[in-house]
This record gives sequence, C-alpha cells and structure tokens, in this order.
Amino acid sequence: MSQPLTPAEVARWAAHAGLPLSPDRHDAVAAVAARLHSVVAVLRELDFGDTTPEDVDASL
Amino acid sequence: MLPCELTLVAASDAVRRRELSPVELVESVLARVASVAPLNAYVTVTAERALAAARRAEQEIVAGRWRGPLHGIPMALKDLIDVAGLPTTASSRVRADHVAEVDSTVAARLAAAGAVLVGKTHTHEFACGLITPQTANARRADRIAGGSSGGSAVAVAAGAATFALGTDTGGSIRVPAALNGVVGLKPTYDLVPRDGVVPLSWSLDHVGPLTRTVADAALVLPVLTGQELSTVDRKITGLRVGVPRDHYFDQVDPEVEGAVRMAIALLESLGARLVDVDIPMTRYFRPIHWGLMVPEATAYHERTLLGAPELYSPEVRVLLEVGALVSAADYLRARRARTLLRREWLCLMETVDVLVAPTTPITATPIGHTDVTWPDDFAETVSEAHARLSTPADITGVPALTVPIGRDHAGLPIGLQLMGRPLEEDLLLRLGQACELELPPPHP
Repeated sequence: MSQPLTPAEVARWAAHAGLPLSPDRHDAVAAVAARLHSVVAVLRELDFGDTTPEDVDASL
Repeated sequence: MLPCELTLVAASDAVRRRELSPVELVESVLARVASVAPLNAYVTVTAERALAAARRAEQEIVAGRWRGPLHGIPMALKDLIDVAGLPTTASSRVRADHVAEVDSTVAARLAAAGAVLVGKTHTHEFACGLITPQTANARRADRIAGGSSGGSAVAVAAGAATFALGTDTGGSIRVPAALNGVVGLKPTYDLVPRDGVVPLSWSLDHVGPLTRTVADAALVLPVLTGQELSTVDRKITGLRVGVPRDHYFDQVDPEVEGAVRMAIALLESLGARLVDVDIPMTRYFRPIHWGLMVPEATAYHERTLLGAPELYSPEVRVLLEVGALVSAADYLRARRARTLLRREWLCLMETVDVLVAPTTPITATPIGHTDVTWPDDFAETVSEAHARLSTPADITGVPALTVPIGRDHAGLPIGLQLMGRPLEEDLLLRLGQACELELPPPHP
C-alpha cells in the first residue's frame, strides 16, 4: 500500500491537476485524501486480465 | 382524510371521476406545505404556478380531456432537476443565481402528463451526502431526513406532495424514503433520462420516484420512461427470492433485521421460494463507489471549484478538492472493477429473481449524530452506514425499490430493499406491493 500524500505533495498534485489549493487547505485535503486513497487502493488486489472499463448498459 | 393525504392512486381516481377537483387537491397540498414548513422540505414553493396549472387541469378534465393518472396531481422535484424559468439551486450557494432555461426531460414528461409542480425540494448540497442536514424527518423532527433526496421524501411523507422525484447515486432515493416511511424506486441505470438534472456522478446517477405506495410508484415510472402504463401483477408464487448470507445483514440494527426477516418470511408464506445467496465482491463496493463518484463529481464542479470554492459547504468542498487527487489509474481500476462486479452480480441474478435486504442498517438518527459505533466497536459515519447497503445497486445499475415494512421501538420507519435484474422493475413492484398489502400499515 502506498504512503499517504503529505500536505506539500497534495499541494503539488492539486496544482498539477489544474485545481490549485490555497495553503490553508493543504492539511484538510491531505487528511481526506489519505482516507480516499487507502480505500480505492484496495482495487489493486484485483486481477483484471482483459477486463475493459465498460459503461453500464441497461439492455444487458 | 384530507385530499393531501390521499395516495396517488386514490387521488388520481377521484380526479378522474370528478369527485375531487385538481384545484381542491392542490390547495390542500399547499396548505399542508405551509403547515409543515418547519420541516424545511422545500427550497422553492411555486404556489401561484401550481394553482394556475390545477385550474387548467380542472378545465381540461371537465371538458373530457383527461390526460392520464398524473393529470392534476401535485408533485415536487428535487432541486437538481431543471424546470424552465425556475432556479435549480442544488441547495447550494454556488447556484444562487441560476435559472433553468429549459425543462429537464423528466419535468417535461411530467408536465405533458398534466402533473402539477408544487415546488423544488431540498437536497444534501449537490447530492453529496445521505443526510440533508437542513431538512427534518417527517415522522420525528429531531431526526435526520436522510439524503440526498431528503426534501422529496419528507414532502411525500408529510402530505406536502402527492409524489416527488429524487436522484440516487449512492442510495439518495432509497435512504430518505426508508427513513421517512415512504416508497422509493431507483430504476435501472439509464432507464429514466438524466438530461437537465444536475449530476453528481454521471456513471452512477439515477432519477426515480418517491411515493406513498408501491402502486403509486407504478403510475409514475411509465411517465418518466415514456413507456406504456402496466398494472402490477400480484402473482409471486414460485418467484425465487435471494436472501444474502453476507454483507446486507452485517452490522445491521437488530430491530431493522427483525423487521426485514419478518417481511422475508411473509414473502415465503405467500409462495415465494427463498434461496440463500452469497453476495460477490463485497470488499470492493466502497472502493469502486468512491473511485467512480469522487473524481466524476470533481470533474463536473471544476470550474466553480476554481472560481468560488468558498461557496461550497466545508464537507462538500473538501470532497471535491480531493477528487482532483484521484489518478486516472485509480479511476480506471474502479471502472474495470465495476465491470467485474456487474458480471458477477448478473450471474448471481440468474439464480434468483430478486434480492431482499434492509434498505438502511439503522433507522433515522438524531440530528447532529454523525457516527455509528457497533457492538464490536466497528465505527463509521452515518452516511457510510447507509451507503453500505445502497451503493451496490448504483454500481451495478440494477433496479432497487424500498418499501416501508414497520417501525422500531421509537416509531421510526424501517425499509425493505428489493433488487432485481436490469429492466425488471415490474417484479420489484409486484413483491413490494405484496409486502405493502399484507403487512400492517407502517404509520398510524
């Protein structure tokens, strides 16, 4: 499992993503980001093989 | 019984027979809207517009031009749904100056069917939560409404709308419907058009009705889909009802579980065949849901998040800011995992006709009560608790219905959740109606 982003890394990532954060946001966003990343990282366990990211199709 | 307290089926029948004027019905609902105003279900009440529409409906019906079962029926729309000329605030300061230029498809279809808009109902800001903190529960005002379609559920439960529409991305129709003791239907993904509806997450959003009865929902759904009206078949003998061995009964309040088990036993006594099933990939429900929803929400809000982030509430703002930190790799993993989950889920649904489960693990919590701690010390937020049982149907896109089946010791409603195969809403309505007809009324 990867290490949580530090507030400084959060600032750099956010700016890189085109949504820069003011300095007073770094700590709060880092805390929530750590939780989100720890949850979604569980998906790395899956062996996707040739699975495609299909859209949900109501007709199936 | 006051006109505002009638079910949609009863009100519609009375209007069609000209025993009840749409004007009388709308006036009754508007009076109830005023008397329950402290619950804060509505963002905007369109009283004059509603009365004018009711008068037109009355004239048309008297002239023999009855349009169908929604003609002259007062309804409410969650304030994410565009109606031309009215604000769509999403219960957010971000959209304080917004006015919709055209109707959403669902608003246009309801208007064409003659339904009368009473107003726009509160949502948890931009549908980003399962509480709707500004709105109070219709059954006990010291309890949460649930969300995000909290205003719609409260309006229907309180008699302040005969039916309403909501949206469901992680349970936002079913959770408030269950917590307020009304029926909520999340249809199959893409069955009801979403254009003109403010998105939370494009790949998870659904639009559907909240009503007082299952038969009421069966009248609204075909208007939303543009399909033919059909009656709800009552035969359930031989239907295979899947009872989850895992996930849906883990960390569930004993009173909720007891009521749901009783409803399941009732379905068996009516001829349904119970089948124990294992729910696939439960470990991945939350990762998939968060991995899809959060970055999609951020993408939609990108411009306003850059220009005026202070206008969002703190909890919504931080969620949207974090969405920018989800990598494309994580997002694609979530999408691919959804493909796997959906395949597994559809395989499961070949062995049963419906799945039954609690809609929510707990009844409506006190306002301001943010966390739940279970006897084994497992702790989670109230929103996370509710989302556990409702997100699988959003991820997989299968239809899901909640029906009130009882109350806990405090008199708070408990909902039964029924999930089916894609496009088989009729089966859910059939089983839901069986429960509704056989169980004692959930409210005095």
